[in-house]
Amino acid sequence: MQAKEFKVKWGMAIDIDKCTGCGACMVACQAENNLSPIEDASNKIKVMNWLVVYELSNKKPFPEHDVAYLPRPCQQCGTPPCVSVCPVIATDKNEEGGIVSQIYPRCIGCRYCMAACPYHARYFNWLDPVWPEGMEKALTPDVSVRPRGVVEKCSFCHHRFMMAKDKAIVEGRDPEALADGEYVTSCTEACPNGAIVFGDLNNPDHQVYELARSKYASRLLERLHADTQVYYISRREWVRRQLDNYLDNEKVKG
Amino acid sequence: MAVDRRGFLKFVAGVSAGVMVTPIPWKLLDDASIWTQNWPWIPSNVDGATSYVSTVSKLCPSCVGMKVRLVGDRPVRILPDENHPLSKGGISPLAVAEAQMLYSPARVKRPLKRAADGAYVAISWEEADALLAEKLGAAKGSIACVSGDETGSINEVLSSLAVQAGSGNFYLMPTEAQPAAKALAAMGGKGQLGYDIENSDYVLAIGANVLETWGPVISTRAAYKAARPHGEDPAVQFVFAGPVQNSTAAGADQWVPIKAGTEGVFALGIAHLLIKAGATADAADFSAFKSLAEAYTPAKVAEITGTNADQLKAVAAALLKARTPLVVCGSDFGQGTGAGTVMAGIAVNMLLGGLNRKGGLKLLPVAEPVVSSAMSRAEMMDKDFVSYMSRINAGKEKAPKAMVFYEANPAYALPQATKMSEVLGQVSFKVTFTTFLDETAMLCDLVLPVPMGLERLDDVATPYGYGQALYCLARPVAPMPASVKPAGDYIVALAGKLGCSLGVSSWEEVLQAKAKAMDADWDSLMDGNVFTSDATVSANLSFAADLLAKSVNVKAQEGNFAVAPVFKLGIGTAKTAIPPYNNKLIRRWELQGNELYVAMNGATARKLGVMMHDKIVISNKSGSINARVNIFEGIMNDTITVLMGLGHTAFDQFSKGKGENVMQLLTVGFEAGTGLSVWNMAGVTISKA
Ligand code: SF4
Repeated sequence: MQAKEFKVKWGMAIDIDKCTGCGACMVACQAENNLSPIEDASNKIKVMNWLVVYELSNKKPFPEHDVAYLPRPCQQCGTPPCVSVCPVIATDKNEEGGIVSQIYPRCIGCRYCMAACPYHARYFNWLDPVWPEGMEKALTPDVSVRPRGVVEKCSFCHHRFMMAKDKAIVEGRDPEALADGEYVTSCTEACPNGAIVFGDLNNPDHQVYELARSKYASRLLERLHADTQVYYISRREWVRRQLDNYLDNEKVKG
Repeated sequence: MAVDRRGFLKFVAGVSAGVMVTPIPWKLLDDASIWTQNWPWIPSNVDGATSYVSTVSKLCPSCVGMKVRLVGDRPVRILPDENHPLSKGGISPLAVAEAQMLYSPARVKRPLKRAADGAYVAISWEEADALLAEKLGAAKGSIACVSGDETGSINEVLSSLAVQAGSGNFYLMPTEAQPAAKALAAMGGKGQLGYDIENSDYVLAIGANVLETWGPVISTRAAYKAARPHGEDPAVQFVFAGPVQNSTAAGADQWVPIKAGTEGVFALGIAHLLIKAGATADAADFSAFKSLAEAYTPAKVAEITGTNADQLKAVAAALLKARTPLVVCGSDFGQGTGAGTVMAGIAVNMLLGGLNRKGGLKLLPVAEPVVSSAMSRAEMMDKDFVSYMSRINAGKEKAPKAMVFYEANPAYALPQATKMSEVLGQVSFKVTFTTFLDETAMLCDLVLPVPMGLERLDDVATPYGYGQALYCLARPVAPMPASVKPAGDYIVALAGKLGCSLGVSSWEEVLQAKAKAMDADWDSLMDGNVFTSDATVSANLSFAADLLAKSVNVKAQEGNFAVAPVFKLGIGTAKTAIPPYNNKLIRRWELQGNELYVAMNGATARKLGVMMHDKIVISNKSGSINARVNIFEGIMNDTITVLMGLGHTAFDQFSKGKGENVMQLLTVGFEAGTGLSVWNMAGVTISKA
């Protein structure tokens, strides 16, 4: 399948070597996108997360052991496997920017997309979203709350994209030529280590443009050809090897 | 009209095709899913005008600067603040949830009194005022105050109250600041230690969890961020020495495994090698220090710390090569370390010529107190709460008649937590000023609700570890709940009622005086600006070699295994417990349901004959906890890591009853030479359950 091309293509370059696994991005994501808290968060099947920070291990025993953390938002595939399986077109990729959408009122909760997504980036609302009394006052006005029974996922904080575009239009600028940093996701903004860089992968003026072309950059399960818009950077070879299922004798990039 | 078979089949095919082509079923399905999602019990968003206010977190121990997004008058998001030196465009995983915590189910909403049957009943403020005046009046001369706020001027008010109406017993909850202050004082220094990480090109953190919990961690992480462009060789090397491959080790260029509690020895091993390479320092007792360091040969250090001699030598060589190296000694879980550890770290910085130099260790000025009879910062730092509690326990000191807690949760957060709660039981009247119904509140006779940092006027003066003198204000950005009272004004008035003369009549006056003492401009502070100063205090430090020799000695531990607590800011603190938005950060094999998982490496597991998920009991003379086994290879042999912040018996559904409190296993000892209470080494025995 040929990836759809867009003039503007939002993407990330996440430096795994810079992530210390603190989780600020995960909490910032929940607050920004109105995800509800859950009493027993150890039940990882029922927990709703748009962004998860995974722990990676070089699988060597102490003292040779090394650890790394991998923040995983939706990878915003160029050829999204989730889109083609949706029977009601609740998810699509056809807007400028190349963000894979999710239209909650249209979702019938069949979860085909979850089965199709190779990155486990989609989550099903098994439970009603419930906030402790009064906490709904801290909901942002930008993202609607999703009910039980629908699938949700990271939208690259799409509302922020719309706001940045609106601002550019009001100021008489081209909304398709936003400056670097004018639109970033909540996780990008929160990370104290600057592990996540966000921008237009097609715009040479944006930092991600170069970073995505770094010799250390690769994508998750690249050989599935999902053509994702999230790049991972690591100077450590063992980390890069784990980004796809490399055989021991296979060489990785970088 | 007769319908033949063929006609019927055509009709059926037509209907089927029609159904496929018509949008009606799809439209109905779509509509049905929309209708079924219009559930009235699901909250809908409320719109309003967005505005931003800059302030600083009083909730997160990193004192992170933050920009609060308000929609109407509701704070909805905590965002990083580019312009705040304690944020620099980053936010801590704890502060980022602060807006939501305003509505935490654990918040105390009205004054509570403990009735005769032990149950809490809501009372009016008038009733609370009367009860407090009566009880504290009766306890006059024997009141102790405990504060959990390390950076605020509230400590001046509380310490003045303790001095004038009590027995001079004012204590801060233990952090890393006290051993550091003790170390500096012992070496003849004045002021407060500041680490100029921002301008250093080689940061060696021995124990200190500098990228997760130590000091003003978000500003440290901003320096880390600046020095490491994506995919490039880092401009600044970070090296971490500690028992666990924690967040700092994960971000560092090198992890040097050393046993918990041996940080000082490791530093002396470095000192040994630096001196051998010709390093000296302009201190009267350099030769005494030199002969002390002489004994800490790489082989001996390797034996005590469990590291290997080559790694030690490599680190020393790299320090010598760096232009502005900096050594930070501390505790990997933010407390319990001795002054000796910090002294050894200061000594290495002295050998590296790092005192009061750019990218080095700075001695920062501390403002004089502005409240009459208040303790100075140095006096406060000298007071050791854990040792006070231990003296009461041992009958060496009488329990005070009353204790006043301010945002402090000793019943959960002190080592040997249960024992400490028992000691608190000897105090006949206890009152707490708190935002959350914590473990200490559950022991108090009176619980007084105070606003959160976002709802009150408060201050932050140079958090421990930050490289510059700093002063800024937390400004009220959200309306306070109706029956909550700001503690500042309340305690100022209370002290007045108890006959103390503070020399100030309101909380704002305290803060204004403090701003003046710091040389900061009040109006500018109220606009959200931050005062910083490059001033340093001149340093003529000695090595205090004799004291160092005694204090750095590593005692033999109980049992065959060591416990290394792991502190992660995102999972909260003793004061906050696990914030509702943050329990998702707990990893799968750290907690399952209410069951705690502890981690060990494969070699340790084999030694114990246990496998992943096996149940074990970890115990020592202080207590015991039950857990299941997780295998993680980033841990030294014979060491068990336990996540801190679990095992709460109070707070709300997000924290209560989840896992176990590792503080139960941390046994208090006393550091030789300084007498400081320490609990950075916990030996345990482990058995299969
Ligand atoms: S905030 Fe940054 S450092 Fe923390 S987990 Fe997320 S990406 Fe990693």
